[in-house]
Amino acid sequence: MDDVASKIVEILQKHMKDPDKEVAMGTKLEDLEIESLDLAMIVFDIEDSFGIEIPYNANEEVEDFKTVGSVVDRVRSLVEGSDASPSGAAA
Amino acid sequence: MTQSNGTRRVVVTGTGAVTPIGIGVDDYWTSLKAGVSGVAPIQRFDTEDLYITIAGEVKGFDPRACLRRLKRDKVLPHADRFSQFAGVAACEAMDQAGIEAPIEDGMRAASIIGSGAGGLVTFEAAYRDLFIRKKKATHPFTLLRIIGSSAAAHVGIEYGIKGPTFGTVSACATAAHAIGLMFDFVRRGVVDIGIAGASESVLNYGTMRAWQAMRVLSPDGCFPFSKNRNGTVLAEGCGLLVLENLERARARGANILGEVVGFGMTSDAKDMVNPDIEGPREAMRQALRDADLSTTDIDYLNAHGTATAVNDVNETRAIKDVFGDHAKNLSVSSTKSMHGHMLGAGGGIEAVACLKAIEEGFVPPTIGYTEPDPECDLDYTPNEGRKRDVTYAMSNSFAFGGLNAVLVFGPPPA
Repeated sequence: MDDVASKIVEILQKHMKDPDKEVAMGTKLEDLEIESLDLAMIVFDIEDSFGIEIPYNANEEVEDFKTVGSVVDRVRSLVEGSDASPSGAAA
Repeated sequence: MTQSNGTRRVVVTGTGAVTPIGIGVDDYWTSLKAGVSGVAPIQRFDTEDLYITIAGEVKGFDPRACLRRLKRDKVLPHADRFSQFAGVAACEAMDQAGIEAPIEDGMRAASIIGSGAGGLVTFEAAYRDLFIRKKKATHPFTLLRIIGSSAAAHVGIEYGIKGPTFGTVSACATAAHAIGLMFDFVRRGVVDIGIAGASESVLNYGTMRAWQAMRVLSPDGCFPFSKNRNGTVLAEGCGLLVLENLERARARGANILGEVVGFGMTSDAKDMVNPDIEGPREAMRQALRDADLSTTDIDYLNAHGTATAVNDVNETRAIKDVFGDHAKNLSVSSTKSMHGHMLGAGGGIEAVACLKAIEEGFVPPTIGYTEPDPECDLDYTPNEGRKRDVTYAMSNSFAFGGLNAVLVFGPPPA
């Protein structure tokens, strides 16, 4: 697990009802009992920690927020893109 | 004019509206009938780095022009925009009711004008002055501008209203609670006349940031009940009604616009954001029982219809639970598709829409409806309004926190 992944797992654990539950890259967020309002707080924490912006919309089913691994991939691409294009996250 | 349970009948003799699709009831209603959208890119402040950059702003509102005629309240021209909206809507509603300031027998009158959040625009400006510009003092009216009850107080001062005067607070059900309480005050004889509703003007950078962080706003538009809906759109405005007991209204020869016949209020007591079925359902049932009507008496239902994924499905289910087979015959619409989500003021402006629908026999549409959603399978009056005799209309307001308020309106008593 790289820095991005371990930081995200740490953030997820902070918001999980049962932080001892095992978190792997393939774990679905719904299996961690993460609901829409939890997700709003998690996205906020991620944005704050990585200095990025994720235009996540709770009204839409987004593939990026299905599993732990998909969140990590999304954040990694935003972090990598943020230097080249500061507005990339908001696009 | 007294009902079998000893209470008095309550009629509407005035309406006032300040909306993103028209200032004044005539302009507002003309826009509703034509399916005009008031949602547009935000003009009044720099959206800077926001990714939600649209809202329903009230355009062309000139407080000085609108408030020049004030007789008694000298402070309103310096008040927060939400109080100024209320001042303008109150003047319109009182003019229509044929009431001049100061009102006769002020002790028997009430002003219940709520606001979901009060003067947030003033708040932000004051904090920018203090923390960014390092000013030593805020504007001397900052406190008065911020207070959530200031709209009720301003209108009360202007019209010499000396009875119950306060604001309600219940997020997006604020106006419906205010009108419902006034309905109760008038029918029980606490007062004879009153002005009720809510006003909201919270569009600023901080508010947009806070809502953006909730992840419930649409970047594109407000498309209630349509499968492609992707969130609500914030708006600002004010909707007020003058309520009066029937006897008083008739005695002074007032033009009666309609009647308030039922009110229901419940709380989900479950979740701050996710709505439950029971609360909305029971609020609708209470309102019908209060009105002594059966489900088939309702022709038009002005839905809460926020265009969030969750609300619209939940509200549809609750309507079907309450109305059963008649649900399919109901004309439902969400006028938020046009005026946006005015938060606390929504129930006031939607009450005006219900009264106009009854008066003119016309159901305003739900615009932006492009894709049917199998989970939202009622007649939402898609895209075009329609002529229909409307005898009774129901207005739903369901707020964050699970706070529900439902009003039922009828025609002028025969």
